[in-house]
Amino acid sequence: MHEMAFAQNILDIAVAAAQRGGAKRIGKINIVAGELRGIVATQLTFCFGIVAQNTIASDAYLNLETVPVTAKCTSCDEAFTVEDFFYICPRCESTNVEVTGGTELRVKDIEVE
Amino acid sequence: MKISVMTDVLEANDRIAAANKDVFDRNGNLVINLMSSPGSGKTSLLEKTAEALAGRMRLGVVVGDIETSRDAERLEKHDIPAIQLTTGTACHLDGNMIASALPHLDLNRIDILFIENVGNLVCPAEFKVGEDDKVMILSVTEGDEKPLKYPLMFRESSLLIINKTDLLSFTNFSMEEARANARRINPDLEILELSCTTGQGMEQWLSWLTARRQRRLESLGRA
Repeated sequence: MHEMAFAQNILDIAVAAAQRGGAKRIGKINIVAGELRGIVATQLTFCFGIVAQNTIASDAYLNLETVPVTAKCTSCDEAFTVEDFFYICPRCESTNVEVTGGTELRVKDIEVE
Repeated sequence: MKISVMTDVLEANDRIAAANKDVFDRNGNLVINLMSSPGSGKTSLLEKTAEALAGRMRLGVVVGDIETSRDAERLEKHDIPAIQLTTGTACHLDGNMIASALPHLDLNRIDILFIENVGNLVCPAEFKVGEDDKVMILSVTEGDEKPLKYPLMFRESSLLIINKTDLLSFTNFSMEEARANARRINPDLEILELSCTTGQGMEQWLSWLTARRQRRLESLGRA
């Protein structure tokens, strides 16, 4: 259940950003989550609902934008989307690939009142 | 109104992990974050490692469990300083928990510090603690398809130890399949087969550790 730790961190980051911007309520939190992080959206929302109680984010909607795992072949430079965790270049079949996306997990922005 | 944030959700943890790493750098410790499912043999491997390296290398362990201090008690019998962290409900150790354990260890007198993580194949891989390497154990009784089911941990690890090879003939675990699945997730993953019961693979494990220790000292200019 890493979602609980993530939910707490998301809350802390969003509340700090809202306070810096002088906002009173957070309406929406936009999160970018790479597929490699294995976030279960329903669990994250559930955990967030618990940690956000009695805070300025108690009614905030968590919007999760999922980013697919992408990679670049270091042999032939082909950029591709990794499906089913198959880290093999579709062009030259090399396994020397560098992951270029899909590991990120960040709070992108918040919508506040 | 929209406020741009662009902050990594794990930023706070990563910052504490980096501070832990600074402490380890100053003390010249090689730090191994040992991860696996519950019951795959983390503590047994550490006991065997302590026996084999006694007098050659000074070890220390920070061990995380949801409850009890049984693991620390087992390790202390081998004269290894062991700090038990009971996490309550948390399913992993994070940078902050490790930071809380450091004042209780004489890091100056430790060559290799093992962080024995909470038994769990998912969450520990997400949280850096200031380690040099993540090492994971998969025991043959767990099944050869695990790399595909829990890809992040296999992706994040430098070394995979396939443990309990003495039980291989009692299971339908295919070593070939397990290796192929693990390499599919992480082509750079080093893999070694080991049995704490028969001692198979122990030499390779100790050589791996010794080489990592040497490399660590060289990178710190202490070799």
